[in-house]
Amino acid sequence: MDRIVFEGLGKRYGKHWALRGVNTRFAQGEIVMVIGPNGSGKTTLLKCLLGLVRSTEGAITVNGNIIGTDPAYRAGVGYMPQYAEFPRELTVDQLLRMMTDIRDARSGSTDDRLIAHLGVDALLDKRISALSGGMRQKVSAVLAFRYRPNILVLDEPTAGLDPVSANKLLDAVMRAKRDGATVLITSHIMEEVQRLGDRVAYLEDGRLRFALPPETITDVTGEKSLAVALPKYLAQLPAHHVEGL
Amino acid sequence: MWKVYKYTLLDLVRNKFAMGYALMMLAVSAGLFLLEPDNTKALITLTQVMLALTPLLALVFTIIWFYNQYEFTVLLAVQPLHRGAITRAQYAAVSTALLGSFLFGAGLPIVAWAPGPIGWTLLLTGAALTFVFCAIGLWIAVGQRDRAKAVGIGLVAWVVMVLVWDALLLWIMYGFSDYPIEPLIVPLAALNPIDLSRILIMLKIDLAALLGYSGAVYEKFFGTFGGMAVSLLALLLWSLLPAWAAVRAFVRKDL
Repeated sequence: MDRIVFEGLGKRYGKHWALRGVNTRFAQGEIVMVIGPNGSGKTTLLKCLLGLVRSTEGAITVNGNIIGTDPAYRAGVGYMPQYAEFPRELTVDQLLRMMTDIRDARSGSTDDRLIAHLGVDALLDKRISALSGGMRQKVSAVLAFRYRPNILVLDEPTAGLDPVSANKLLDAVMRAKRDGATVLITSHIMEEVQRLGDRVAYLEDGRLRFALPPETITDVTGEKSLAVALPKYLAQLPAHHVEGL
Repeated sequence: MWKVYKYTLLDLVRNKFAMGYALMMLAVSAGLFLLEPDNTKALITLTQVMLALTPLLALVFTIIWFYNQYEFTVLLAVQPLHRGAITRAQYAAVSTALLGSFLFGAGLPIVAWAPGPIGWTLLLTGAALTFVFCAIGLWIAVGQRDRAKAVGIGLVAWVVMVLVWDALLLWIMYGFSDYPIEPLIVPLAALNPIDLSRILIMLKIDLAALLGYSGAVYEKFFGTFGGMAVSLLALLLWSLLPAWAAVRAFVRKDL
């Protein structure tokens, strides 16, 4: 079943089109790695889905409903930004309670496994101002996964995390996938993209060039590594090829 | 809205700037009452300090706070919340925190040394100016992507209201002194919340008599119950309109 459908999605800033004619659909239980050069439109695509940016044209359908100004659909969305900033004078526990209150989540309905896995339980009484960047990333990861989202949007999730915590986070991503969540991840780490992604969505100049399983790209080019295969695949792709629905 | 307000306020009451503002106002107010034996004179000096500092600090703090909170505000906008509720909650929380600092810093010495109509009017107008300039600060911050530019606009707005507007009024009053323009000065003064606050306190101290005919014009209008009601309504509008504009701009903004 399609969880997210982008139909003719476009976003223009002034005269510049940051996104143009994006058509694709993502299924439930699918991990999509969103990649592309800097300024290719990855962040804009995710922001359109999150309702942070209004599209200039086209539509996004989530769970069968076109998203508009009603924020209700975001109850099923978990988001982990690249840089996590929180109110500095709150404790981690107060921050978690704030988000639980905002989401009207009942006690027992939250998934608190990541709190222990990432060692956030030892930080609960600490103020945000006392946390390092990596610790804040862990808190951010906990918030993204805690409310059992059916859509997870993770922007460079392992950046700033130590390798052990990064692996635990990626395990949590796989668990969310098994539970039926659709996961969109931006990453520049090709090993991560190849290891996690059911599909790789490649954006360039605001256009979605393709959304394919990583093994399709490696098979076509005869390369084992996606990092090597991707430039070769792009070179043989027709210049104006874009993904269609 | 109240959930965001509650936790934002909890964060703000521990904010070092808000605490510093409270302690600074306490030191200034207590110092004035201790050094000046005449409490009315101390209140006049405190009025001048309050009219300059309260708008400036509310404006600059709100702008800087909004930018410092920007990433978290984006995270809030991804929650199942209406954007308008986020901005309304943030405005209410910042205003409440700074109001608390002002009332603690200026209110305690006034209650201790000079309780009475002048002191209450000073506290009332200080509270109103806190709400007004937090709203203006939020409006500026939401509308600008560049923090430095936003602070610059805020400072220009403050200079205009605290200095330039007065100079303009004086120039009009002296330049056109041969014409009956004093009635025009009343609505012009009401267009500036700092002037409006100054007039309200001045009338309680009865300094209007020193200002001659224009003072009499102010007294004739603002000294009445209707005039007081109009001036408080004007201050309320000065809070509500920029706050409404900030909410509207945030709802439409690409984050």
